[in-house]
Amino acid sequence: MDTSGIARGFRLSTELVAGVVVGAMIGWLLDRWLGISPWGLIVFLLLGFAAGVVNVIRAAGVDPNAKQD
Amino acid sequence: MAADPIHQFNIVNLFPVAKIGSTEIAYTNSALFMTIAVAGISIFLLGSTMKRGLVPGRMQSLAELSYEFVADTIRSTAGSEGMRFFPFVFTLFMFVFVINMVGLIPFTFTVTTHIVVTAALALTVFFIVLIYGLWKNGLHFFGLFVPKGIPIYILPLIVAIEVLSFLSRPISHSVRLFANMLAGHITLKVFAGFVTMLTAWGVLGWVGAVLPLGLTVALTALETLVAALQAYVFAILTCIYLNDAIHPGH
Repeated sequence: MDTSGIARGFRLSTELVAGVVVGAMIGWLLDRWLGISPWGLIVFLLLGFAAGVVNVIRAAGVDPNAKQD
Repeated sequence: MAADPIHQFNIVNLFPVAKIGSTEIAYTNSALFMTIAVAGISIFLLGSTMKRGLVPGRMQSLAELSYEFVADTIRSTAGSEGMRFFPFVFTLFMFVFVINMVGLIPFTFTVTTHIVVTAALALTVFFIVLIYGLWKNGLHFFGLFVPKGIPIYILPLIVAIEVLSFLSRPISHSVRLFANMLAGHITLKVFAGFVTMLTAWGVLGWVGAVLPLGLTVALTALETLVAALQAYVFAILTCIYLNDAIHPGH
């Protein structure tokens, strides 16, 4: 996808933030429901960060294992 | 009021429609501009294709061009199977595009500057992907979360990351459109506000106001580009996500 620099930068940053936000949200909810604070938040925030990085790698199109089709 | 860059996003109740419990459902300026967009698109598409000319006229060419544009986008990202989602993607693209474009006209309201609207659109896409993927591929749909060639001992970790990545889609999908439109409209309003503030200072202010005025003109051009581009990005991401529902195998 060939877009202007600012649009591309914006796209990548939202991808990263979205991963972290979803991880934090799930971790926080698990903490509340299961009463395992703070472990849910710790684990899922880290997982969410990893998911955000995966999102960014995919969105940037630099994934070396990307499917060819 | 003129200098308040946030004022343009106010929701105004025009007239009440219904009342559920203590919650009043009103027809707002947001709903008004959605209606304008839908009516405009309908009139444009129906009116331009009414004659069904073999050699298309000016308006019919425009309608055919918009069809070809969206169809090409779907075919290149989701394959020819994705064409069954053409009505959905075309509706989304035209709706967002027209709303963004109408919002550039002064004194109008831009519906996509409210995250409620973009989140509703993104969640619709998300649930269509989820439900269609499960309906068409059954449990194979979950293969989306299990990449091939991963050693079994780190597989649970990878699956968790993939699931989170999948769940984060509606957030990045909706925030991108919303934030681009919001930021653009605030910037425009702030620079336009400088013009009125400076001109209040007399002759020297008039000279100084030339710069923000020029920037406002330039920004309007940039925002036109952003409005079109974000509608396109929203549509193409929808296609990419739909592609996962149609071909879940990695």
